[in-house]
Amino acid sequence: MKKITVIVRHLPLNTRKNAEALRMSVGLTLREDKVTVIFIDDGVHTATPARPELINLQPLNKEFEALSLLKCTLMADKPSMEKRGIKNLVTNIKVAEREEIVRTITDSDIVIPF
Amino acid sequence: MKLGILLTTGPENENTGTVIAISRAARDKGHEVSIFLMYDGVYNIHKKEFSELVDRGVNITLCALNATQRNISKTEGILFGSQYDNACIVNEVDRFISFG
Amino acid sequence: MIVELDLRGEVCPYTFVKTKLKLEELESGEELNVILDHAPAVDNVPRSLKNEGHKILEIEQNGDHLWKVKILKA
Repeated sequence: MKKITVIVRHLPLNTRKNAEALRMSVGLTLREDKVTVIFIDDGVHTATPARPELINLQPLNKEFEALSLLKCTLMADKPSMEKRGIKNLVTNIKVAEREEIVRTITDSDIVIPF
Repeated sequence: MKLGILLTTGPENENTGTVIAISRAARDKGHEVSIFLMYDGVYNIHKKEFSELVDRGVNITLCALNATQRNISKTEGILFGSQYDNACIVNEVDRFISFG
Repeated sequence: MIVELDLRGEVCPYTFVKTKLKLEELESGEELNVILDHAPAVDNVPRSLKNEGHKILEIEQNGDHLWKVKILKA
């Protein structure tokens, strides 16, 4: 079993990129590898309960539900959240100290920045 | 050694040249190379260098959903696969590099 | 008993994820029929299932964009 970490670090709107990162993460669980998704820098905005459907963009509920169901670890970088005044996250995403983020990345067999 | 490469950017990005060069070099050294194209990376399949990589024995798979979204039609030698194939590549390779 | 799973409206990788989760509930030798309307999944889901050791009994086309994949659990 490999440890795979996907890093989401860009703003979520006006792009399919972050949704695609999550869809890929769902797919990566299919060979029984351990998948972790980290939201860092502007990527932490992806982890908030935003309502993109109000501007006709697809919400990420489905991706988040699947990732939780498949027991992926989802974590948001605390310093990135504090810097952006983010207090609420989507259910099942945990707030992680920078040390834990760094440890997760360095312990991974494969890191995919998206 | 088995090398896996993920490419998510379109052909205008410098990643394309890097992926082509790394894949050629790895094949020349006798390594197995598998490339997975997704998101805008699927636009790369019409570059002639990618067909040449197929001729050199590089396995190229793309995400068929992303190709359908972009109206990209089937091309010989390239597997129109799924995210499951990406999971297989990641699971089986010795080294995996991501270009996004 | 044949179990049926309607995956109309689902795309990759959810088509395969949901098929896999449903198969986990079944006993070896039981049959699962999956209904798909996403064309790429009709090629990819059976190919991935074979790779996981399951048997594809039949792929039945029931319309321009409607298929039924019959799977025998390994």
